[in-house]
Amino acid sequence: MSCMSGLRIAAWVVATASVVSLGLGLADIHGVMDWLPIGLAPFVAVAWLAPAAVGVVIANRQPRNRIAWVLLLGSFALTVQVPLSLALGEGWGLQMGRALWPLLYAWPIAITFVFPDGRFLTPRWRWIGAFGVISFVGMMAIAMLDPEPFEGDDASVANPLADNAVSAWMEDTGLWLIWVVFWLGILGTLVAGSVSMVLRLRRSTGVERLQMMWLAWSAALIPIGLVLCAASWTVFGFVDYLVFPFLLLMQVAIAASVGIAVLRYRLYAIERIVNRTLVYASLTFLLLAVYAVITVGLGVFVGGDSTWVVAVATLAVAVAFRPLRARIQDLVDRRFRRARYEGVRRVRSFEDEVRDGVQAPEAIGSVVAEALGDPLADLYFWLPETEAYADATGEAVEPPLDARARREIRRDDTRTALLLHDPTLLERRDLLDGVLSAAGLSIEMARLRVEVRIQLAEVEASRTRIVEAGYEERRRLERDLHDGAQQRLVSLGVQLRRLQMSLPREAQILSPALDQIVDEVGSAIGDLRQIAAGVRPARLDDGLAAALRDLARTTPVPLEVDAPQERVAASVEAAAYFVACEAITNAVKHGSASKVAVRAHRENGTLHVRITDDGIGGATVRRGSGLAGLRDRVAAHGGTFEIVSPRGGGTTLQVAIPCES
Amino acid sequence: MRVVIAEDTVLLREGLAGLLEDAGHTVLARVGDAEALLAVVAEHEPELAIVDVRMPPTYEDEGMRAAVEIRKLHPNVGVLVLSQHVESRFAIELVSAEGGFGYLLKDRVLDVGEFLDAADRVSRGGSALDPEVVKQLLAPPQGDDPLAELTPREREVLGLVAEGRTNASIAKELWLTEKTVETHVRSILGKLDLPQDGDTHRRVLAVVTYLRASVA
Repeated sequence: MSCMSGLRIAAWVVATASVVSLGLGLADIHGVMDWLPIGLAPFVAVAWLAPAAVGVVIANRQPRNRIAWVLLLGSFALTVQVPLSLALGEGWGLQMGRALWPLLYAWPIAITFVFPDGRFLTPRWRWIGAFGVISFVGMMAIAMLDPEPFEGDDASVANPLADNAVSAWMEDTGLWLIWVVFWLGILGTLVAGSVSMVLRLRRSTGVERLQMMWLAWSAALIPIGLVLCAASWTVFGFVDYLVFPFLLLMQVAIAASVGIAVLRYRLYAIERIVNRTLVYASLTFLLLAVYAVITVGLGVFVGGDSTWVVAVATLAVAVAFRPLRARIQDLVDRRFRRARYEGVRRVRSFEDEVRDGVQAPEAIGSVVAEALGDPLADLYFWLPETEAYADATGEAVEPPLDARARREIRRDDTRTALLLHDPTLLERRDLLDGVLSAAGLSIEMARLRVEVRIQLAEVEASRTRIVEAGYEERRRLERDLHDGAQQRLVSLGVQLRRLQMSLPREAQILSPALDQIVDEVGSAIGDLRQIAAGVRPARLDDGLAAALRDLARTTPVPLEVDAPQERVAASVEAAAYFVACEAITNAVKHGSASKVAVRAHRENGTLHVRITDDGIGGATVRRGSGLAGLRDRVAAHGGTFEIVSPRGGGTTLQVAIPCES
Repeated sequence: MRVVIAEDTVLLREGLAGLLEDAGHTVLARVGDAEALLAVVAEHEPELAIVDVRMPPTYEDEGMRAAVEIRKLHPNVGVLVLSQHVESRFAIELVSAEGGFGYLLKDRVLDVGEFLDAADRVSRGGSALDPEVVKQLLAPPQGDDPLAELTPREREVLGLVAEGRTNASIAKELWLTEKTVETHVRSILGKLDLPQDGDTHRRVLAVVTYLRASVA
């Protein structure tokens, strides 16, 4: 711990030293740094201190991360030149200024070797690292020994190393040409660093891959900077002020992306940034090419600097911009965001299939899983009414709490669904967001359908419950009639009989009247029994076949019954019985049938009942009629109802009631 | 006749007991549920147990199950089951299986003479089947049913036979002579291809078994 805080303190010391060094230079702006155009000074300050700032932040969070020290020392090496120049005089300052330029590249290249864990890719890479250090140091040493006088505005300043013995000796032996070797060594180190970085990028997955992408994106500026410098050097003999801002940008960009990558702040934005960079870089290049080809080409024909040529070229570029951008975006997506591109395309083709009626919108869950390349992904639809999730079949489910990541999907600020997916997809935010945003409408559509289906099922279930409650009520009523009123009447009758028997001889004249009363009681009991049987025949307790056979005994016309002995749910039996009762009553009352047949059989979890008569036919289902009531009753059980009743051709009523037991 | 009564409605229970006592029978015990019934039957070994079908606790078929139990444990005790409505399946099975069993609708009690007659029959190992049940057994004949060959009078006699009546009782009911009833019975048994048997109970068994087969 103390070691860690020691490292933190050291980081702060180095960073502070860098700030102070640069501060000294800025305070003395017309002294050591007077070669800078005045406006650039703040940018230099930002660029040179950027690595130190990022370094100190990283060191604070992760003191053992060597990346922090590469940044801190990189910054310090740049800024420390200021106090050194102040101490040693203008001549040394200028010499350092023209000799130590490799420092601008040294720390970024070092980063490419050891990013993101602060270690070389393999121990062997140390040798390349060592070779790089030798090349940089050698290059700068040779340059520092340069005895050439300063040029231009600085010609008046004397080179403090104008005639040093070492350089004279090297000149004599031709050893100074070794700078070419060091120069090539620097280039080789740059290439090696890039190779190391690309290898890591290839091998890495998840967070590390994104970190590497951040670095790769900014490190691409290093060779560009070198090329620009070399070009400027070749053309002007010095690094032009136009190139210099690019070098500053490079410093800031690399420091910033290292910071983002290590601290993982907005880490996931890189895919988008790389994408945009590629798109706009290619777009710029192509548009410039178009412009150039048109101006040069037309210039040859039209001759000179015709404003027409410029106008035509500008117009062509303007017209080409939008289609070209879309085209390039598509190409880049296809090439560099393959997964996202394919994923979004999968969702789009699913939408087409839904439109063509080939697929049901509820299949969106498996389509999303497929598009994400995560076969274990599950989509749950949110039902605001019950505040619960349901699967595609409308079954209410509690999404399992497992290792999968949970992603709530919202549309217009309301929750529509929940996606459980492989947590590694979190590192491919680009793919995840792309697919989910493409699938948003389909998900909402599927959710609505699931919701409607559930509500419909709920209504059906409640209808079934109501009908079943009706049967239960009938059963209770039947019980009450038998055990209540009927029982009392029997008791009353027995009492009357006893009274009758105990009549004294002189009162025997009352006996016939009592007989009559008891008879009345008896027929009242009979009536009650009849009513109770109509409410719900007790024979239903013995099954549909028994109840139908009982019914046959009381039917005024011959009734043929063919029903299975096996039992099904009591409510289904009751429904079938009442359907048969009503149909028979209709047949006798309205159809003038002379015989009726009831056939019931069970098949594939469905009870089929078919009632046929030889009556006059012509029966129709009218609102409020008995048949309509039957149809509702059957529908309440999720069954089907069918009536065929041609005029003069009898009536056939066929119902099928699910009786899964 | 020594009787026990199991009926959960106190008023009816007392009424029944009164009727039986008025007729000179001895009511040994009056209970309100099946468990108590089995206890008093075991204790008194009565000649007859009058049992209500629906009794506490569930008011389903406690009485019927107790009746089966009594027939098994105490074969000498006649059981007369009283029901509020026809539950024929059980009743027919018990009646046709053995003697000493009766099944009547409760309101038959109001016809005191017949009720006592049936009770007497059952207590002496005979049977009594409610006319309503018999009516169901004698459903309108269809097609090649041998019952179709019976004359209306014969059907009437057959019903009374199925109820468990003796020839004398049938004769009285139909205002016929016993001789005529005997002729009818012989003719019926012949048409139905049933064995001629002088014993009333075995005759009932044969008839009920036959009818049950034709219904089921």
